[in-house]
Amino acid sequence: MSLLDMRKYVNNARGVHWLFIMVLIGIAFYLPFLIFGAFPYNTKTNTNPDEMGQLLEGFESVDFYAMSEFLSDSPKQIQKEIDAFETWEGGKCRFCHAVKEDDRDRMAPSLYGIFGRPAGVGDNYTYSDALMNLKSNGLIWTPELLDAFISNPSNFMPGNRMRVQGIEDLETRKLIVNYLMRESKPIKEE
Amino acid sequence: MENQLANKAGEILSWLGFLLFLIVFINMLQAPRITIGTEEREIMRNFHIVAGTFLMAVSMFRVYVWIHFPPQKNHRLLPEQDYIFIHLMQFFLYCSFIAQGISGFLMAWSDGVIRFIKGVDTIDHGLWAISGYLHSAFGFLYIMLILIIIILRLYHMIRFRVFSLNVFA
Repeated sequence: MSLLDMRKYVNNARGVHWLFIMVLIGIAFYLPFLIFGAFPYNTKTNTNPDEMGQLLEGFESVDFYAMSEFLSDSPKQIQKEIDAFETWEGGKCRFCHAVKEDDRDRMAPSLYGIFGRPAGVGDNYTYSDALMNLKSNGLIWTPELLDAFISNPSNFMPGNRMRVQGIEDLETRKLIVNYLMRESKPIKEE
Repeated sequence: MENQLANKAGEILSWLGFLLFLIVFINMLQAPRITIGTEEREIMRNFHIVAGTFLMAVSMFRVYVWIHFPPQKNHRLLPEQDYIFIHLMQFFLYCSFIAQGISGFLMAWSDGVIRFIKGVDTIDHGLWAISGYLHSAFGFLYIMLILIIIILRLYHMIRFRVFSLNVFA
């Protein structure tokens, strides 16, 4: 036996066999995008400081994290929020999103400083056209908007790539928003 | 004699590949359900890397044996073209395991999970995203290939009365 046998063996395959395998490879390469909303390429920077300034014009003095002062300090409540954001049984958010400043970027954009941030400006992520349109329309993430988005992502923003079912339970959504209010608060430089 | 040895090696590698695939597959179904950052998740991920590396190594050996000693048709009732088609699928199955291993290695390396030299930063989010996408794509490819091989085996059983349990060739 030799390499020649292998060549003969491969050469004897019909064109339709090869075509079938090529189609399978094509489908396999499309499925991560279709099922998970994954994208193979990252846009390193989605906005520059000038553009950011324009998007935030008129909101400079608004503290979107002011509500964090009024969150409960009870360890039981904090654990509930962690479970709602991080676990499979909860919102599953942590599986794709980073939250803190020093968290490593994941498959989806980081949620560090999400409240008060314009849509589609996170780094290291290629946004969908749907989100970029909202960015041009001046959408700024607030707790209320985020709550509406996670309740039914595909309805709130058709064409976005967060391919998860909406979180119907109001209480779970509230816990997730509270978690972000507490954990994603930007650290102010002195 | 050499042929017999190659056939035996091919058979052992196939069953070893099947066993490792099952281990990796079960681990793959369980791991994503465990919260990121927990100790349990780290253990599952490390296990995934080790088992996946073994699967890649076994697949490389299997492809090497396959190229030098291609499997020969030993079912009289199975037509030549049907035999070639299923074996082509099985060959691509091993190739997808190798591609899966390489993309998995790149993914772990660019995420800083595996390092060769102390203190050298290998983290690269761009590489992580593309290798992660490929890792997922090759995962879907081998799942589809396995399902099609099983369907073909059933078809061969019904149509040609050729019975074979061997999904991994």
